[in-house]
Amino acid sequence: MSGAITDLSKEAPPEAITTEICVIGSGSGGATAARLLAEAGHEVVVLEEGRDLIGPERTQRDGPMYDQLYMDRGGRASHDLSVSVLQGRVLGGGGVINTCDVVPIPEGVLQHWTSKYGLEDYAPERFKRFEDEALGDLSASRIPESLVNLANNKLRQGAEALGLRGEVMLHNRVGCRGLGTCLIGCPIHAKRNPRMVALPKAIEADARIFTRARAVKIRKASQELKEVSVRTLDPGGYHEQHELTVRAKIVIVAANAIASAQLLLRSGVGNSHVGTNLTLQPQLPIIGIFDERIAAFDGIPQSYAVTAFEEEDNSEFGLWGFRIEGIMGTPGIVSSLLPFSGAPGMEGMAQYDRMTPSLLLVPDAPSGRVEIARDGRMTIRYEQREDHRERLRRGVEAAARVYLEAGAREVLVPTVPPLIIRSAQEARQAQRLTFAPATAPMISAHQQGTVRFAASERDGGADLDGQVYGTREVYVFDSSGFPTSASSHTMAPIIASSRMLTTKLLTRM
Amino acid sequence: MTDRANEERTRDGLFSFLSRRRFLKVSLVAGGAILGAGGGGLLALRGKAPRVEGLRVLDAHEYRTLQSLVEVMLPKTNAIPIDTASMDLPRAFDTFLADEPKQNVRDLQKALVLLEFGPLVFDKKLTTFSRLDAPERSKHWSEWAVSDNLLRRQVSIAMRKFFNLVYFDREEVWPYIGYSGPSMKRMPSVAP
Repeated sequence: MSGAITDLSKEAPPEAITTEICVIGSGSGGATAARLLAEAGHEVVVLEEGRDLIGPERTQRDGPMYDQLYMDRGGRASHDLSVSVLQGRVLGGGGVINTCDVVPIPEGVLQHWTSKYGLEDYAPERFKRFEDEALGDLSASRIPESLVNLANNKLRQGAEALGLRGEVMLHNRVGCRGLGTCLIGCPIHAKRNPRMVALPKAIEADARIFTRARAVKIRKASQELKEVSVRTLDPGGYHEQHELTVRAKIVIVAANAIASAQLLLRSGVGNSHVGTNLTLQPQLPIIGIFDERIAAFDGIPQSYAVTAFEEEDNSEFGLWGFRIEGIMGTPGIVSSLLPFSGAPGMEGMAQYDRMTPSLLLVPDAPSGRVEIARDGRMTIRYEQREDHRERLRRGVEAAARVYLEAGAREVLVPTVPPLIIRSAQEARQAQRLTFAPATAPMISAHQQGTVRFAASERDGGADLDGQVYGTREVYVFDSSGFPTSASSHTMAPIIASSRMLTTKLLTRM
Repeated sequence: MTDRANEERTRDGLFSFLSRRRFLKVSLVAGGAILGAGGGGLLALRGKAPRVEGLRVLDAHEYRTLQSLVEVMLPKTNAIPIDTASMDLPRAFDTFLADEPKQNVRDLQKALVLLEFGPLVFDKKLTTFSRLDAPERSKHWSEWAVSDNLLRRQVSIAMRKFFNLVYFDREEVWPYIGYSGPSMKRMPSVAP
């Protein structure tokens, strides 16, 4: 059997497929595992709920792209709508819809995980090899100066004037033309993401990849031959069509921290830690508004980060503090984050080409959880903690000062009601922000936790090999296992972690 | 084939916040108007909505509520002098809902009932959202975003998110916001 991508929305599947290894999810964790296992000569099947949407099908239009590239058509959110949860649902996963930031797990975090959680494989000296390999997979390089757009340069200009540390970020683009729509897919495939690197290599090594294949349950998880119940979807990915069973000796779940936990919970697999310790890393947009045209929608949307306020070795949580990163989106998504309606909303969006948005990226404590209700409905339960609100306020004040220093006419904090800051003195008003539920457009793009790796079943949901406690060779190889926030951006950490876990698995096979 | 009624409830989504229990609770706390006024009285208050052809999910009343909402949410202004009437955004919503899980559709329909009877439930006015004149409707709608009631804020977020995304994705709007459009069309030399 040779490797291929098969779209199950277009043909009725067989009733059952038997394979050695079934990988659920085709993003950074799943694609990496599939590739390494297939290259080592093992029989691999990959299941992906999304479709393979490539080239000109990536139309750079908000409506169809959020519909097709994101989980819940872009509408996924925490239980009270306080945090919009962005999760890829496409072949290649989150790497297809991210802003290409390559931020390896900081050494302080690796040491924290080793000393506090006993994750010895993540000790900096042992893990370095896998981080280096991940950077190689991603063709990681510093974003060239020529591709740092005016909006990101405004952020840099303000930070430098205030003496704040920052950096032009590492990325995984090759041949980038600054098309600007990274968040809804690159039509020229400049991203060296799992879709363009690991999956083609997996196919070359005979892995079989099935798209529009939703894994709904894992059965017989403690037996030698597991069964994964799969439902195929229609071409749009909206409705289930056919049923299929994949039988495999090894099941690797790598469907994102939310979906992996959801699958395990629905299957009744694992211990009481499954679903817990979720971190969402909620981010808050801040918008500098200038008098001149900025056109932040052109060029790389996220290339500069103010890192002066970031802690990498907090004794309790590892990654802490906050960072400020430039960002931009297409009009639909930007408008949906603004707090206005009616005439004020129209006037606000009339300034779209003069906006320089950034995101306050604030790592959080692992305090959320994924739940499955009796009616089958999945809920992302997440209560923001006061320490998070406090750092958000500091971040708002800092970002406002940076943009004002760079010459912004005003800074919009898109809370309800909105806060508009026009001077350094007014920036102190950020301390009055309450961040009550559903009053700030917070975004989560880096979900982690839910099946924490731990040496003992008492302390986590999966062991140090990623094997889910209570199962026989059902593994999690994605960000589910991270005990705290790995990094400000999780693609490189997940690839490195999956490489390490897969290498360990191969030595046992 | 799988049974759609028993389709795995894997999808959460924007409109999944309004369970039946919560809807009843909010309605009761807000004055019990919806439950207490009696079905006949409420129907009379709502009046008759014009027939709309070709809807897949929404009924005429729900369509009218959304049309009334869009008028005040995305009004024609000096900044963006476009009348949304020609865009038929409620129909876009209907198309969206047709592919949503049934539970989300039910939740959204509850939200629309709450929105339509919002003036009665929250302001104690003997009228409905669609019957308010535009300035009153605009004022009433703006109160949903800043309300102390979490559910009203959630409805506001969900509606703004959907309609803003659809509206600002329309090409005729872009000249007024300075957006040059998808870069691939502007840079024909860039090929996949």
